[in-house]
Amino acid sequence: MRATVRRAATAVTVLALLLTGCSGGDDGRDADGTIRLRFQSLAWQKESVDANKQLVKEWNAAHPDVQVEYVQGSWDSVHDQLLTSFEGGEAPDVIHDASDDLADFAYGGYLADLRPLLPERLKADIPEQSWRTTTFGEGVHGVPFLQEPRVLIANTKLLKASGARTPTPERPWSWEEFRQVTKELTGQGRYGIAWPLKEPVSVSLNLGLSGGGRLFHRDGDGKAVLRFEPGDGVVTGTIHDQVNTDRSAARSALGMGGSDALPGFFGGRYAMLPLGFSYRQQIIQQAPEGFEWTVLPMPAGAGGAVQGVSPQTLSVAEESPHQKEAVAFIDFLLRPANMVRLARGDWMLPTGTEALADPSLRVAEHGWAVGAALAEGLRPAPAQSVRGYPEWKDKVATPAYQEFYSGAIGADELSNRLVEDGNRVLARYQR
Amino acid sequence: MRRGLLTRGAPDRESTGLRTGRAARTGQYLALLAYLVFLAFPFVWLISTAFKPARELGSLHPTWIPENPTLDNFRQAFDEQPLLQAAGNSLVAAVSAALIAVVIATPMAYVMARHRGRLATAATGWVVVSQAFPFVLVIIPLFLILKNLHLINTLWGLILVYVVWSLPFALWMLAGYVRAVPTELEEAAAVDGAGRFRTLVSVVAPLLAPGIVATALFAFITAWNEFFFALVLLKTPEKQTLPVVLTHFLGAEGVADLGPLAAAAFLATLPSLVLFAFIQRRITGGMTAGAVKH
Repeated sequence: MRATVRRAATAVTVLALLLTGCSGGDDGRDADGTIRLRFQSLAWQKESVDANKQLVKEWNAAHPDVQVEYVQGSWDSVHDQLLTSFEGGEAPDVIHDASDDLADFAYGGYLADLRPLLPERLKADIPEQSWRTTTFGEGVHGVPFLQEPRVLIANTKLLKASGARTPTPERPWSWEEFRQVTKELTGQGRYGIAWPLKEPVSVSLNLGLSGGGRLFHRDGDGKAVLRFEPGDGVVTGTIHDQVNTDRSAARSALGMGGSDALPGFFGGRYAMLPLGFSYRQQIIQQAPEGFEWTVLPMPAGAGGAVQGVSPQTLSVAEESPHQKEAVAFIDFLLRPANMVRLARGDWMLPTGTEALADPSLRVAEHGWAVGAALAEGLRPAPAQSVRGYPEWKDKVATPAYQEFYSGAIGADELSNRLVEDGNRVLARYQR
Repeated sequence: MRRGLLTRGAPDRESTGLRTGRAARTGQYLALLAYLVFLAFPFVWLISTAFKPARELGSLHPTWIPENPTLDNFRQAFDEQPLLQAAGNSLVAAVSAALIAVVIATPMAYVMARHRGRLATAATGWVVVSQAFPFVLVIIPLFLILKNLHLINTLWGLILVYVVWSLPFALWMLAGYVRAVPTELEEAAAVDGAGRFRTLVSVVAPLLAPGIVATALFAFITAWNEFFFALVLLKTPEKQTLPVVLTHFLGAEGVADLGPLAAAAFLATLPSLVLFAFIQRRITGGMTAGAVKH
């Protein structure tokens, strides 16, 4: 019996070793020298998937010696999937992700520093503030290419009937004016606004920039530190007061995601919704016949008409044996005309200045012109490169903001928890 | 007098007892109904959503029955994602995993149930401990092992993982079924001259059939629904399984292409439902038959 077990174990071991020994020097080339790149895309809407696949097809037709394979990824699970692929040495060559997901991978050495590889055209085409979203330490670890501001989607008829001034990108509402307008729009079973704050942290931080808030600061030795200053309370205070004092914002919407709030908007229960720019596609699909809606800029405060964003990015795996070719492919994907196709497919804004100037993105229809005009006020999301941010967000900030907006705690308690508990979390990551 | 009181009192107590019994029974049925509604609600809603046009999905007053039922969501789902190919991959992975798990688990379970000793205790301990490991803890070592064996991006690699993952619970489950088979039956067979192998094949195996089917069903459904291993281990789109392909209907920040997602998810639940519908009666029938004989 023992001898049988021993023989079986030996056979399994030998088989494993044989299989292991079969691994050759796979450098992503075919026998005929053709380079094979894997491009993992997170495009998910039909128009966007079609645009990406079409561009890959065009590249492959023009570059027989460098062939790209399109691999479909998913936003829902990209972080875990990439982490495992990096650890296992099986990562795609070209990686589609978002800048707020890159910090761990960039600092972990999994993503190539693109500075020596990027062509001048691409460097010059994308503004400095966008490049900052993918700069971690000294390196640039991704090319930011699509971004979306948060905008107010308003029920046109209700807004007109209220007599409120219609804000424009040049003359947005102030936060006080916005609060007043939502009060006027409230009544007869209707709320002036609904804040779908299922993810309250990114909304609070990104919009907080317009009130002059930053929350995350760098001290003398470059370490990130949290400070709650008066500017940090402008946006959060407005939302809190709309929900709890004015009753002009629907309390029940606080736990919703953007899509969840759309039926209430279409049904006239909410006059306005603050949503990402790409939600316009869903609105077009789902809005009842004859429903009129308009895209407005978010209010501006002491910080100006600015807000934080985490653009979608294209990165190259550090372990890829063909980084130069991978960057050449990225450069092709992000040529101005192609960037426009990708932007339109995803209903977002391109980061490239030339693409952004494209006439098709400057039309009034579906609010494209309003969005394009907001692009210059888009800044890197305040905390995305801070190590320890994900833990602070999940354990400290999310419950604190949720309790504050629902009226369970006051501004002092919010500030204490965000800063004191938060700095303890950050300190652990910055020893 | 006393007798009269007693005779008058008895029907009262009886009727009170009956009333209490009836009330308790009604309460039980109500609780059962509430539980059924709780279980069925998501599925009914899924079906309803799958047949609704986009405009109805955005309605403030949603209806259970679509006002303008449509097959557009199904068309779009098939149009946008390779659902049939993914379903084929899922089927191969789930059926293979279920068969292999059962073939391995059945003799092991017999040994565990019939031969008490250190090995059986250790095996039981292993089964319990193995259930405590979360996916994320094992995925990277597992990935590296499979990579060395050249099993990354192959359905065989995935099947191997599914077998290993479902084996402990399958073993546990089958061992319970084996224990329920009276040893006297095996002894009687031995007295009649049947050898060990004959006893196992002709006496034990038929009685274990419902247990084997239930275990296979468990392994099948575990593999059919599994997402994370398939996501990580399969790279090329042609090899992806249904749960992975379903996530392609999801965008960033939880935005979803709801109609096609519901349509595809509805189709993905059908095989499990059909299997249950066919096999459930046999499992119950088999068990009941055993109980009556016993």
